[in-house]
Amino acid sequence: MQLQYQGSPFSDPGFSAPELQLSSLPPAVVSFKTWHALDDRERLSHAQGAFLALTQHLQLVGDDQRDLNPGSPMLLAQIRAARLRAQGLLGNMAAIMTALGLPIPPEEDTLGVVPFGASAFERKCRGYVVTREYGHWTDRAVRDLALLKAKYPG
Amino acid sequence: MALFSVFQTTFLLALLSLRTYQSEVLSEPLPWAPESLRVFINSTHQCLHLQWSVHNLAHHQELKMVFQIEISRIKTSNVIWVENYSTTVKWNQVLHWSWESKLPLECAKHFIRMRSAVDDAKTPEQSFWSNWSSWEEVHVQNSLGHDPFFVFPKDKLVEEGSNVTICYVSRSQQNNISCYLEGVRMQGEQLEPNVSVFNLNHVAFIRETGTNIYCKGDQGDSIKGIVLFVSKVLEEPKDFSCETQDLTTLNCTWDPRSDTGLLKQLSQSYTLFESFSGKKTLCKHKSWCSWEVAPESQEMYNFTLTAENYLRKRSVHLLFNLTHRVHPMAPFSVLFTDVSATNATMTWKVHTTGNYYTLLCQVELYGEGEVIQRNVSVEVDGKQLFGGLKPDTEYRAQVRCANANHFWKWSEWTRQNFTTAEAAPSEAPDVWRNVKSVQGHSVVTLFWKPLSKLQANGKILFYNIVIENLDRSSISKLLSIPAPANGTELNLDQCLYQIHVTANNSVGTSPASVIIVSGDPGNKEVEEERVKGMEDGFSLSWKPQPGNVTGYIVEWCDHPRGPLCDLQWKSVGPTTTSTVVSSDAFRPGVQYNFRIYGISTERVPYLLEKKTGYSQELAPSDNPQVVMSNLTSRSFTLSWKDYSIESQPSFIQGYHVYLKSKAGQCHSGSEKAVLSDDAVCCKYRIDNPKQKTFVVENLQPESFYEFLVTPYTSVGEGPHGAFTKVTTPDEYSPILIRIILPMVFCILLIMIICYLKSQWMKEKCYPDIPDPYKSSVLSLIKSKENPRLTIMSIKDCVPDSIEVLNKQEGTRKSLTETESSKATYLYLLPTEKSYSGPGPCICFENFTYNQAASDSASCGHVPVAPVAPLSQLGLLTSPENLLKALEKNYMNSLGEIPAGETNLNYVSQLASAMSGDKFILPTNPPEPALCSEYKMQMAIPLGLASPPSSGSSSLSSVTLLDEGEHYH
Repeated sequence: MQLQYQGSPFSDPGFSAPELQLSSLPPAVVSFKTWHALDDRERLSHAQGAFLALTQHLQLVGDDQRDLNPGSPMLLAQIRAARLRAQGLLGNMAAIMTALGLPIPPEEDTLGVVPFGASAFERKCRGYVVTREYGHWTDRAVRDLALLKAKYPG
Repeated sequence: MALFSVFQTTFLLALLSLRTYQSEVLSEPLPWAPESLRVFINSTHQCLHLQWSVHNLAHHQELKMVFQIEISRIKTSNVIWVENYSTTVKWNQVLHWSWESKLPLECAKHFIRMRSAVDDAKTPEQSFWSNWSSWEEVHVQNSLGHDPFFVFPKDKLVEEGSNVTICYVSRSQQNNISCYLEGVRMQGEQLEPNVSVFNLNHVAFIRETGTNIYCKGDQGDSIKGIVLFVSKVLEEPKDFSCETQDLTTLNCTWDPRSDTGLLKQLSQSYTLFESFSGKKTLCKHKSWCSWEVAPESQEMYNFTLTAENYLRKRSVHLLFNLTHRVHPMAPFSVLFTDVSATNATMTWKVHTTGNYYTLLCQVELYGEGEVIQRNVSVEVDGKQLFGGLKPDTEYRAQVRCANANHFWKWSEWTRQNFTTAEAAPSEAPDVWRNVKSVQGHSVVTLFWKPLSKLQANGKILFYNIVIENLDRSSISKLLSIPAPANGTELNLDQCLYQIHVTANNSVGTSPASVIIVSGDPGNKEVEEERVKGMEDGFSLSWKPQPGNVTGYIVEWCDHPRGPLCDLQWKSVGPTTTSTVVSSDAFRPGVQYNFRIYGISTERVPYLLEKKTGYSQELAPSDNPQVVMSNLTSRSFTLSWKDYSIESQPSFIQGYHVYLKSKAGQCHSGSEKAVLSDDAVCCKYRIDNPKQKTFVVENLQPESFYEFLVTPYTSVGEGPHGAFTKVTTPDEYSPILIRIILPMVFCILLIMIICYLKSQWMKEKCYPDIPDPYKSSVLSLIKSKENPRLTIMSIKDCVPDSIEVLNKQEGTRKSLTETESSKATYLYLLPTEKSYSGPGPCICFENFTYNQAASDSASCGHVPVAPVAPLSQLGLLTSPENLLKALEKNYMNSLGEIPAGETNLNYVSQLASAMSGDKFILPTNPPEPALCSEYKMQMAIPLGLASPPSSGSSSLSSVTLLDEGEHYH
């Protein structure tokens, strides 16, 4: 959805640029072996850290898109909704960690001074990376929580 | 010569020294050469900013100078730009100069140097160039990051149709990088080994959010790109105009023309500048702006509207007098006073725009189909009187005003509605009646049409009906029927009545409509005439009446098939003898009946003519329901008595009877017709629509026919739907039925009687134990013919006989007596096929009647067959045993039967005496296993009595066997 507003190449069918990464955003892609070997604390803290970064990045992307696509309120609303969902998930994960007796990592500024002064194209790129990682991290979080649920039934 | 040489040497030396001096003078630095040259880069605008100063200028000294600036790209020898910059230089002044590069500065190194010359008339001796400054190198690539490649420029804003140069700079020369514009690969040219340049000519606007240009390497490098914001060319504002409504605020409007298609932050802004006051305001809107009128009475205004964006600036001007641009506000407090049925006074107020202004107001009044327009000069309050209005009519009034002295624009309309008062109805209602005589009384139904709005002059509340008996003038009656009734029913006697009908509203009464009603409905028999309908109705005409007629009335029903008829009428004047009756209710295929009445001078209506017709005739949609009767082998009768001619969609002219037969022969009175399905049949034509029976004759017995009866009209026949099938009977079956049916009935009756009296019949005809003395049959015979036969005596007995006839074949036939001398069983076995003449006769004594009789048997020459003991019976069940038994019983006593064809003839014991019949055994019985059983009528000893049973075990049976193979 977000890509449709950005023009070519982002809106091209099947567009994918896995090489585009943001140093401030931990990638969700992980090998199955590594993922499976994670203990509960690592698993939850990875996800918690990722969604913390995602909430901040989604805020940045929302600001970017307000400049780039001011005439697309639906896009802006979706980004805002995604950010709120990430924040909600973050709160739920904190509750799980508390329930499991795990320490909650402190909230930190993941963005730093990076984003300002980026060109329009760079802002489109980082919007793509953030929304892509949001999707990947959501998928991974589902699997994380499913694993934990199987481990702690009831 | 030597002297000449010395002189020459001296001259050369002098010349040389002069040259040396001159060269020394020339090589000396110019006192006002550019110094401290610094180059600044503005990547966003692709600009180089040069900053330098000129030293050695005296205090307050100003000098006109020319600076020649040279710019090279990639290498110093590749000069791409030379420009002379003239300016006046002051003491201690820092000079600036900018240059915009077509190529993004990041794409290549740039080198800049400059030199100066004095271009001042005050110091003409200094007017030659100084030395070049040293090359200043600008190399932005050095400050780039560590990415594999970069694309420049970043986020460029250009106008549609301009040319743009883009480049990528790669860290490595091995990178194979492709660049795309909106997904289409661009062809570039290599500027340096690691730099490629793409020239985009006449770039087009694609979308407001910019055009993406991106590059990517073939080694999995991430994509890099730029967004090119292409703006449409900013146009000059159109229709710039300013006006005021209240002389305190000017409202300026304009048409911004087509949008530049840029994001809001890049879009153009509008500025309003007034030159007389020197005031300027930034407009918040794209198409209008407010301007506060100065409190000091400034009359003239000179506005400049400027539209400006990053790329272009457009301005328009407007000079005007404030008082000529007054656009008054809409009037208010529009009121109507003194509203009567025909007059009204309208008042309104206007906003004051100054003490000295007079407004011209335009008032319009819209009634029903009329417009009244007035122009009124107004200073504060407006007033206008309207006369000649229609009663009880809603009028819509509107008023607008403009500056009367300097017309600029009308104000908006202010609208107000009002309704005039009611007045008494102006016309008498149109009244008609329908009279029926019921049991000596007249039931008069009065109808009237509601008055039109123009005639009613208000809301009709009720109708007054005054019934005046003309025969007894003293008696009159008043009825009041509330609206909106359009009729009423009156029960009157046979007297003559005059009825007055008036319509009443809240103000008054209409003129009366008068009609005379008598007991005679006036529906004398007149001939009905057919009329042809047209598209717009029925054109009716009638004969003018010789006497005095006050008018004519045409009457009809809008819905003649409906239960309510919906009576309609049309009144015409006495001189009119034709009219066109039209109604929205008229439908094709419906018969309408019109009655034309004349109204006498005494106001008595009387029927003149009747007309009937269809607005449009339609072909019949249904065929009659035909009943077939009197079916004979040669004819049948068709009947459709229930078919109503009047309710058909057109005038029925007659009927067609179609008859299909296999023979296909058409008799006289019919003609061959081909139906739509190519079937051939006979068509009978009935020209009288009232003839609703038809006899189809000349048919063949036992033949299959199909018939169809369909009406025909001027517009066609009914549908050729399903034919009715009929098969004629044969000629004799009716006769046979007349005979057979009574016979069957009689037989049945007899059978029933026999069944009911079965016991009696049995006793009488065939009792279980026959007793000749009790035989009523015999007694009957005896009494009539021969009394001696009442009881058969022994001497009367004619013994049964079996004749064995010889046959030509020599097969031996024998009857063998069983070993038991008492056997009484005889088996008669047929032998050969044909009877060949007389042969030896074997006579059996029949012991039919009683033991005594059997004991004293004396007839025939065949010995009595003894009765077989019971123990022998089992042997007889098989044919072989049977054969043996026969052989033993009879062969010995009879001796050898002569060879030849043999047959057995059985002669009934009664036959000779009573009838003489004898049975000849079938020589070749058709049934292979026929076994006729002869039940010997013989009394047996009581000890051997047993219930009669079938089969070979029966004690007293003679069986005729037909199985030839057992007989030798």
